Amino acid sequence: MNTLMNMDPWGLLDAVFGVNGDYRRVRARAAGRFPPVNVFLDDNAAILDVELPGKTAKDIDLTLEAQAVVIADRPAMDESGKPGNPAWRRRLELPFRVAADKANAKFENGILRIELPKAEAAGVHRIAIAG
Amino acid sequence: MNIAENYVVPSATFTEKPDEYELKVQVPGVGKEDAELHIEGKTLTLKTHAVHQNPAGFKQVAAEFERANYAMSADLPEMADPTALSAKLENGILTVVVKKRPETQAKKIEIA
Repeated sequence: MNTLMNMDPWGLLDAVFGVNGDYRRVRARAAGRFPPVNVFLDDNAAILDVELPGKTAKDIDLTLEAQAVVIADRPAMDESGKPGNPAWRRRLELPFRVAADKANAKFENGILRIELPKAEAAGVHRIAIAG
Repeated sequence: MNIAENYVVPSATFTEKPDEYELKVQVPGVGKEDAELHIEGKTLTLKTHAVHQNPAGFKQVAAEFERANYAMSADLPEMADPTALSAKLENGILTVVVKKRPETQAKKIEIA
């Protein structure tokens, strides 16, 4: 009887659905394990709003890949001066490549707004054929 | 309390410390000017209006949180002194500190 009462109620679902099911994201969101993100698109840019109450720029690591953005928690240093492990990390793929030099991010009242303009489309190049 | 039609009760934690209580409420997207805090007797009420706007002209493709008007009300515990309140709103978190009534503090009694 004691084992039933102490069982993690999500444990059963873990066993049935395996580790990569969508419900896990719902559970993590409900448990507050990673911050929610709203994504907005238009023809020229993507805007991401990340809800991070209580956080400021020094608490977040933002990295840009060619076609994705990675938002991660930046924990404070531990006593030995080494950074701790990030509590969460989200990687969002975008439908277009981003112009890295024009991307910017700003915190306002606990919401981080990230603006990612689309990269200029590569022009059409002619390839000269040798010989 | 008069509340606007659509409101959300924000997440909050209430902690008791030796000489005060601390209420922390998550209200992301809300600045100091957009929140109203009232105390009436021992009832604390909070109302905020959503100021953080979705960007105009964009199509929303993922909605994991919504802009909301936040509202909540709570009664302070018996030992709280409603006249000794302070509140601070920073980075989307409202922190309210209420001191406990001085007569409720533990005091040493001298034995004659």
